Amino acid sequence: MHDPDDELEAELRRLAAAWDPVPAELRQAAVDAFSWRDIDAEIAELVYDSLLDFDEASLVRGPAGQRLVSFAVGGMTIDVEVTSTGTGRTVMGQIVPPQRATVDIRHPRDMVTVEADDLGRFRSGPLPPGPASLRLHPPPGAAGPDIVTDWIAL
Amino acid sequence: MDPDNTGQLVLGAAGGDEDAWRELVERFSGLVWAVARAHRLATADAADVFQTTWLRLAEHIRRIDRPDRIGAWLATAARRECLQSLRSAGRTLPIDDMERLDITPAVGNPTEEAVLAAEQEKEDADRAAAVWQALDRVSARCRELLRVLMASPPPSYAEVAAALGLPLGSIGPTRARCLQRLREEVAGITAGPSSSN
Repeated sequence: MHDPDDELEAELRRLAAAWDPVPAELRQAAVDAFSWRDIDAEIAELVYDSLLDFDEASLVRGPAGQRLVSFAVGGMTIDVEVTSTGTGRTVMGQIVPPQRATVDIRHPRDMVTVEADDLGRFRSGPLPPGPASLRLHPPPGAAGPDIVTDWIAL
Repeated sequence: MDPDNTGQLVLGAAGGDEDAWRELVERFSGLVWAVARAHRLATADAADVFQTTWLRLAEHIRRIDRPDRIGAWLATAARRECLQSLRSAGRTLPIDDMERLDITPAVGNPTEEAVLAAEQEKEDADRAAAVWQALDRVSARCRELLRVLMASPPPSYAEVAAALGLPLGSIGPTRARCLQRLREEVAGITAGPSSSN
């Protein structure tokens, strides 16, 4: 290798590998992410995030420490309000059109299950910060596949 | 265009092949981590970005339009997570790269060979420290670009462009300019404190 730019870049790469490598436990977490796939569920994609998508013309941003996120699939929307309370996070959700569902709040170390009421509303207790995704099961007797939302960092 | 077998790995993982997934993680972890670091995220926030990005890919793996461009997909997803993290209220303060700099001098040894080796080691360590320090002196834009380029294995320009939201055509010229700026800063640092400003 004789190009001085390539040589300097290779030197930088060696330094990064020595001094700022991917932490081993994170590499393992990425491997483990594969087992979180839910291949039978439909994905509700992230379509709005107040942290990224706000603009002057749209809704006013919520109070500090509050974030609004929307997921959509087919004709269904799941609106979620994430509130930061110190080191914890709380999630309040609304399924549109309103319907009952069992909601699993998944995060890499655990899963919390809550029920959405007849009006499609649900809320969590305190959750740890970090990646999370919702999985909605239709109520017993109702048709339709499970729905999982995109993962977001709470 | 799929010069390596990246596209095949994506299709393999989409079909449930864990080894293919593991290989993708091996190949692109460095890039995802570099994107988080290029955005100056502290370790806890960088870890969230990293994990969220991989969890999202796992869920989407069966519906990737261009399996051969999965690196750019990951870089884009990681960048979006970084911007979200930078705008969220609860994030930790950005890190100072120099905090991680911890070079211990070689321990002396009586043989002549070992003395020479130790001298060489000291020289290498000084050079490495100067390069690392120089990274903090170039412009923010250069530092971002260089941090992504530093990923192992080396990312493609398309991946670097996706990681930073820059046009593909700008990567080559910016890289050349930033490496030159870095070289100048290294020279200034090695020349001594008087010429560092």
